[in-house]
Amino acid sequence: MPERTALLVLGLGNVLCGDDALGATAVHLLQRDFRAPEETVVLDGGTLGLSLLPLIQDAERVLMVDAVRHAGAQPGALVRLEGDQIMPAVRERLSVHQIGVADLLDGARLLGCCPPNITLLGLVPEDLGLGVGLSPAVERAMPTLVATIVAEARALGFEFVPRPYDEKSSRMDDARDVASVLGLWRPGC
Amino acid sequence: MPHVVVDPITRIEGHLRIEAEIDGGSVRNAWSSSTMFRGIEIILKGRDPRDAWVFTQRICGVCTTVHAIASIRAVEHAIGANPPPNARILRNLIIGAQCVHDHVIHFYHLQALDWVDLVSALSADPAKTASLAQSLSDWPLSGRAYFTDVRNRLKDFVSGGRLGPFANAYWGHPAYKLPPEANLMAVAHYLQALDFQRQFIRIHAILGGKNPHLQSFLVGGMATPVDPDSQNALNLGTIAELNKLVASARDFVTRVYLPDILAVASFYKDWGGIGAGVGNYLSYGEYPEDDSPNPTMYLPAGVILNRDLTKVGPFQPDKVSEYVKHSWYDYTGGDDHSLPPFKGETLPNYTGPNPPYERLNVAEKYSWLKSPRYNDNPMEVGPLARMLVAYGHGRPARAKELIDKTLKTLGVGPGALFSTLGRIAARAIETQVIVEKMQDWINALAENMARRDYRICDNSKWDPSTWPAECWGAGFHEAPRGSLGHWVHINNGAIANYQCVVPSTWNAGPRDVAGHPGPYEQSLVGTPIAKPDQPLEILRTVHSFDPCMACGVHVLDNERREIVKVRAV
Repeated sequence: MPERTALLVLGLGNVLCGDDALGATAVHLLQRDFRAPEETVVLDGGTLGLSLLPLIQDAERVLMVDAVRHAGAQPGALVRLEGDQIMPAVRERLSVHQIGVADLLDGARLLGCCPPNITLLGLVPEDLGLGVGLSPAVERAMPTLVATIVAEARALGFEFVPRPYDEKSSRMDDARDVASVLGLWRPGC
Repeated sequence: MPHVVVDPITRIEGHLRIEAEIDGGSVRNAWSSSTMFRGIEIILKGRDPRDAWVFTQRICGVCTTVHAIASIRAVEHAIGANPPPNARILRNLIIGAQCVHDHVIHFYHLQALDWVDLVSALSADPAKTASLAQSLSDWPLSGRAYFTDVRNRLKDFVSGGRLGPFANAYWGHPAYKLPPEANLMAVAHYLQALDFQRQFIRIHAILGGKNPHLQSFLVGGMATPVDPDSQNALNLGTIAELNKLVASARDFVTRVYLPDILAVASFYKDWGGIGAGVGNYLSYGEYPEDDSPNPTMYLPAGVILNRDLTKVGPFQPDKVSEYVKHSWYDYTGGDDHSLPPFKGETLPNYTGPNPPYERLNVAEKYSWLKSPRYNDNPMEVGPLARMLVAYGHGRPARAKELIDKTLKTLGVGPGALFSTLGRIAARAIETQVIVEKMQDWINALAENMARRDYRICDNSKWDPSTWPAECWGAGFHEAPRGSLGHWVHINNGAIANYQCVVPSTWNAGPRDVAGHPGPYEQSLVGTPIAKPDQPLEILRTVHSFDPCMACGVHVLDNERREIVKVRAV
């Protein structure tokens, strides 16, 4: 059953905490609007932390999408971290899931199988308070974030192809999962 | 130790803060506070009850399935849906898998390093470690070469200066008692448990879809099709795969986890007399074995008061209520009375200090957790409560047998169960009981398939027009951490009120209106503290409850001056 994933796009964050939903929102928008290439996996990892270890271990490359706090940056600003920048960021709490993500990456490292290529893409959040829905600044930046993920994947050799409109609408009737409950499948958004 | 300020906005389930007064080398008084507001109740008001589980599943990153289970049970109870046998069996398998997975992870990754000294492990002799491991179990990964490799890997990890999960610990603390070889063996098993988790968690993909959040729950049953003739359903191939995963988990629990618990416990028998707590235990019962309205539970429900195992009372749902006298909420009728969850209110009123702060005013409100009580008694919930209720009932027989065997091996009486050590042992015993039982559920699923019973859902109540205009439901579940209840009030098809009473609220809640401490608070009283600036002993007891959160521990000396502030994960 173990099979290698060439690229894992992993949204992180708690969908019940305002802008912390931006990682999950981005991956659901990506799934809604693009056909993912065969060898990629796109997932909303929530706040599962260490439970995501098998997914990370099975991946050659990982694109994590997350809310990232960044001193001096405006809410909605795009942040990109890679390589050695990631562990300090998750450890120094620039990311809001410091415990889960740090534990996750440490676990992978301890087992000697941390994927060499992890990139963290994110936006600076405005409001992480309890509640469903993104702040206007972050909502406005979502298309940029999704486009950045697509561009990042393309640079790595993975082409996410835009879905035709009718395919988007048919997918809106899919499972009553968290994306539909959060209103991410509404037409035309 | 680093001085770390507790961050109040961590997304992982919220912080726990313990304040303890140390006097004459032991804890005189302790207060438990959750510093994060949980307001799922507010988010759910007005929404479709059939969607509630999708939201509750996201309350906590560690216990996703458990809030989904409690939620669908509550809504089914309210609207009168009756899930068919396959749904019950699939849910039992999911609940069992979560229990086995969480317990193993809890011991090795959240608890073991309170008892196992990593630094001492670095000086262990691999050959002696191999002899020790081979004397305890016939688990194959126990050779000298293997332990040499583990020791070298650890040395690299530690010398790299990136301690990761091993940072913020009290290496070399005098309360560590294991010889270096036992420490190295335990650390090796810490690494093997990561690998165990990686394999076993694939059971979720089979039962709940590829997404790491299970998608297969449904009010009325499950959304996982059962059909031996379909590639995209649970079929004979799936059954074979389930058999394999469960057999391998059983192997790990039988040959690594349980032997490790016995080996470690034998060095810490004094902890069989520390950390007892309130002495009252509650279990809602779990793993329904039939499809009647009041099914027999494989792990029975029950109530034990004052440690009296000869009298296990029945669980009566209407005896559950919650106080907010010391919680940052208001009740519209005043804070001197408790409210049952169906009439529960979630009106936040934060009166605590602005973070970062030195200490809480524990004479007033001091926690975001309410104080749940059963017939006005504080109750401990969790694996120890479930195993004590099983022990008192004498069923399941396997639980009683394993408890007796463990007590005999360690040479202690049943009184040692009421302790920090008892809590840790009960968790391992429960894991063994459940991983064995999972095989029966897989077999039952296969038998239903052979009989061509493919029903997975009762759709008769899906349409809200079939519901009463107003209805109420309670969903009870024994999550790995303990008793979880969701209460829902539905009005004209929408959620009018929703209340969750979670295991950590039972265990970590503050004092009630009568001043009675909650289980964490009580369990810490009398705990010996060797070094007040390194309160390892407090962590041992708090971690034995399996708190589902990062834990900020604050220790005060008897003048209530703060000595140290540490973060422990």
